[in-house]
Amino acid sequence: MPELDKQGDSLHLQLDEQEAGILRELLKEMRMLLEADIPPSDEVLQRLFPRAHQDDGEEKAYRELVGDELRTVKLEAVRVVQEALGPRGSADMSLSPDAAESWLRSLNDIRLAIGTRLEVDDEKMGREYDPNDPEAPALAILHWLGWLQGSMLEELSA
Amino acid sequence: MTQTTIAPERIDEVSSEDVADPDKPWLVIVWNDPINLMSYVTWVFQKLFGYPLAKATKLMLEVHHEGRSVVSSGPREKAELDCYRLHAHGLWATITRSD
Repeated sequence: MPELDKQGDSLHLQLDEQEAGILRELLKEMRMLLEADIPPSDEVLQRLFPRAHQDDGEEKAYRELVGDELRTVKLEAVRVVQEALGPRGSADMSLSPDAAESWLRSLNDIRLAIGTRLEVDDEKMGREYDPNDPEAPALAILHWLGWLQGSMLEELSA
Repeated sequence: MTQTTIAPERIDEVSSEDVADPDKPWLVIVWNDPINLMSYVTWVFQKLFGYPLAKATKLMLEVHHEGRSVVSSGPREKAELDCYRLHAHGLWATITRSD
């Protein structure tokens, strides 16, 4: 289990080798997803980059205004988390408030990507762990990331 | 008595959109989704809009129980910026003109 405690303004977070490894893998996938030339009709991209306006014309103007900024801030958050984790092994980190915020946003984007692919709803999110369920591993990761994100939020607001 | 002829003020072309109703602001709506943590959504409302915990929690619960909540409003530029910042935090937000 990750170790987590607040030290002054910073958040001290320790992940063992396996936990850090899973997160590194997920971040790599998130980076690929954000950088790839995937059709915007992809449901995960639609969830990460939702429409602002219902009207097509308004939406087009909004997208032109926002440009690539949203993709850039999401990639930057991924980079901050990757940098904190380092290339291999376990990770013992002291996260500044800004870095912790990037962690929260990145963990959230990864959860959105996994959850959207699994087409989760409240029923699926509340489902008991069943080793025979082919979706069990992905759901377990989704819950683990949620636990980590929730624990970080608890420490930050403590 | 002479009457001075005053040239009419130049009137800028105003698009129908701009005059639709200046008093009616744009609304920023956040929609419920099964993935985002309640604590995270509350934190985002506090952080982005400076809402106290009680107000942020109330809005989060509105999203959770009623499926949507208006979390901010104002001129179009402000609404679009708020919407963008919510998207940057992974919340499902849209904007619409109030009516």
